[in-house]
Amino acid sequence: MKNIAQRTVDNLKSLGVDYGDVRCETVKTENTGFRNARLEECDVRETQGVGVRVLINGAWGFSACTGFKQEDIDTAAARAVEIARAAGGRGKVELSDLDIQQGVYTGPCEKDPLEVSREDKISILQKISDDMMADDRIKSSWAELWFENRNRVIGTTRGDLIETDLTFTQPSLTATAVSGGDAQSRSFQDGARIAGWEWVEDSGFARWGEKAREEALLKVLADESPSGEMDLLLDGLHLSLTMHESVGHPTESDRALGWEANMAGRTFLKLNDQGSLKYGSEKVNFIADNTLPYGVASWGWDDDLVPGQKWYTVKNGIFQQFGSVRETALLIGRDSSTGCCRAMNAQCFPINRQPNFYLDPADNGVSPEDLASEIDHGIWIEGRGSFSIDQRRENFQFGGDIFWEIKNGKKVRPLKKVIYRSKTPVFWGSLDGIADKRYFRTMGLLTCGKGEPMQSARMTHGASYGRFRGIEVGGGR
Amino acid sequence: MNRKEMLDIVQSAVKEAGTRDATAELTENREASVRFGQNRITQNLDIFRRELRLTVGDGSRKATVNSQRVDLDSLPVLASEARALLQTSAVDPEYMPPVPPGQNYESIPEAWDESTASCPAAPRIEAAGSVIDTASALGYEAAGLCRMTAAKTALCTSTGNSVFHRSTEFDMSFTMDRGLASSYRSLSGTRWDDLDIPQAAEEVACEVSMDMDAVDVEPGEYRIILEPQATWNLVMFLPWLMNARSADEGVSVFSNMEGKRITGSDITISSSLHGARPGRPFDEEGLPASDITWIERGIVKNLACDRFTAKKTGRPPLFFPSTLDMNGGEGTVADLVKQVDRGILIRRFWYIRFVDQKTLKLTGMTRDGVFLVENGKIVKPLRDFRWNWRPLELFSSVEILGKAVRMSPGMIPPVVTGPQTYPFTD
Repeated sequence: MKNIAQRTVDNLKSLGVDYGDVRCETVKTENTGFRNARLEECDVRETQGVGVRVLINGAWGFSACTGFKQEDIDTAAARAVEIARAAGGRGKVELSDLDIQQGVYTGPCEKDPLEVSREDKISILQKISDDMMADDRIKSSWAELWFENRNRVIGTTRGDLIETDLTFTQPSLTATAVSGGDAQSRSFQDGARIAGWEWVEDSGFARWGEKAREEALLKVLADESPSGEMDLLLDGLHLSLTMHESVGHPTESDRALGWEANMAGRTFLKLNDQGSLKYGSEKVNFIADNTLPYGVASWGWDDDLVPGQKWYTVKNGIFQQFGSVRETALLIGRDSSTGCCRAMNAQCFPINRQPNFYLDPADNGVSPEDLASEIDHGIWIEGRGSFSIDQRRENFQFGGDIFWEIKNGKKVRPLKKVIYRSKTPVFWGSLDGIADKRYFRTMGLLTCGKGEPMQSARMTHGASYGRFRGIEVGGGR
Repeated sequence: MNRKEMLDIVQSAVKEAGTRDATAELTENREASVRFGQNRITQNLDIFRRELRLTVGDGSRKATVNSQRVDLDSLPVLASEARALLQTSAVDPEYMPPVPPGQNYESIPEAWDESTASCPAAPRIEAAGSVIDTASALGYEAAGLCRMTAAKTALCTSTGNSVFHRSTEFDMSFTMDRGLASSYRSLSGTRWDDLDIPQAAEEVACEVSMDMDAVDVEPGEYRIILEPQATWNLVMFLPWLMNARSADEGVSVFSNMEGKRITGSDITISSSLHGARPGRPFDEEGLPASDITWIERGIVKNLACDRFTAKKTGRPPLFFPSTLDMNGGEGTVADLVKQVDRGILIRRFWYIRFVDQKTLKLTGMTRDGVFLVENGKIVKPLRDFRWNWRPLELFSSVEILGKAVRMSPGMIPPVVTGPQTYPFTD
């Protein structure tokens, strides 16, 4: 791929572009999926492709092809140049400064999952699926092991050349119980990591068949949610989604500029809110980190060739800065990009995406039970469920995966059909307690949709338990 | 590749597989688009993709390989990988061989427009430019996407079925806004020439001017007037759930509903191969598509059904095609507004998700235009609001259906429902 990248970069130079980059990619994916205790999916996929991005007179042109045929790559390069020239006069692109980047990055992977035998994978999934279906009231189940090895080389007309080798591993399952005319599900939701087979072993996935079955049954038989204003105790997996929607998206610079106004939406934040807007209580510290171990956005460099970085998105409750790409950095008043430019694959134009980020956990010895002990009436929520937020990322409604009512400081009964509503700064402003870092959990998300044409992107979020006061609950029935 | 070259590839792939059962599908797709935001072009793309999918089976096990190395020389390697994967697969109690020989596939020549397929970059940039210029002249900001796609598919089964299909689509959507005021339009057609973009830009600009100084909705009863985009935002959830397997498992709102009423008697939902949005005449297994009515005057007539469930239950095998039409009536959105004494006009929804899949209860927000209607007139803009609704209940109270318009999935009408009580979140 290095030769392809170098050859194509040379071609772009001869075509007279102001700037050009070439992304070459080979992706091997393996998927094994069981539905209702039978092997339904046994797939492998190998994709190859080259994406060519050029800048001419301030206008982008991007073209891409699948495969590595020289003729197709040359056609892509010529098309990128042609359409960039065709946009003449309407382009205003200016990139922030960046030193020349060269190097190799290999993500953590102790045991290559693509080398683990298919029989072993089928055996684990069969056992888990049998565990889930061991009760007649479980009417539907899904269990899956998904692996991907992604190799890419990016070269530019500036002389940058980087190479990355990343392995992604994601186990997942869901059991659905049906009883009394209702259906409820319970899922394993820790998501993906940049890691190898060790993530399947370390995640406890093999034990989750039984747990999902029992908790799906617990849920379908549970009482429905009370409604009214009450306190919430939310675990790290649940908060991973609330922060993704209400912190990650509104702090993307392209939204603030209006570039997503037609699709993903804008943001309630303004450019001059950086460094001043009160986003939450003083306990709220969101740290963006594209060097986070196992984080699925820890790629070494982003697609602008900006190295992975770590920064505060919110510090002591105050909004600090937007995540940016080289093109947006100057437009939002920054000298340099935070390195948030990524495309779904070589055939996609790279855009501003969320970084890995997490709610900084406390180092205070406080347990979730300690936090619950100070709740008169509330709900303990674990995992992700229904989620929806307005296009300005302010007005939201969330569910969860499993719920218990808290009364007088103790869990008293399981619940189902719980949803809550709030506004972003109000919600994070109501956070008055965070559990110790021992309870910190991460969730690696592979399917964040954004952009037109739509692309999915990957990022990891994390948190310990958090306690939120006085949130509106109800409407889930 | 042309039709013959693509069919050669899939037929050779099946032959090369050397297994008892095999199905090969080759797809080729060119997508060219211009994206804009903040009154500037932000992306300018021309992307080509080609991929071959080969599924092999031995009568009890199956395996699938996908590759973007697509030429006759690469087929032996791909076939070998498929056979190796098959050896490590497991017995599938629901194994189904390829579709039987002698399948009849309809030809849909009207799905392809050569001038759209070969459209260069300049007209797309011009279309984006006309929206940007209209917006910037008024001090508004425009964002949107103008896109052309040309797709080809060839499929072959080891049972002797071979078929080829190609289609073009042109679509453009854009938003204009000024502060919190905004409006949106989505246009689509098989042919580039079908769309009048400057006219749409003028209309949207006018709608932005009507959206200034929005106020909160007051509690009370309102009829809901859904513009076609908003109707589609709700209808699009039906194909995900209208399948026989999940109905039989008891996890769907369609469980035990076949032959029964699920909406009001004025609602009919169907798929048509030769409709305004031409359909694809086969699925990935080679099962032929045909015109099908899913809900007829409120009664559930058919559910999509995979071939194993069909064999097990005696239903016909049916897949859900990419197109969907909802019947309409007479009149534009403006005509519908005139017939409403007190209502809320909604242009578009956003971020709709399930609250309860079993009852098809959804939540979402409004976006890009909400208006109070009184005595047949739009009287003021309203702020966006959250709602938790069961669309099948909304469609059980429909009072007026307007004229269906061509959208990306098919023909979709504006709708006026019976009174709903705000707040809509209980």
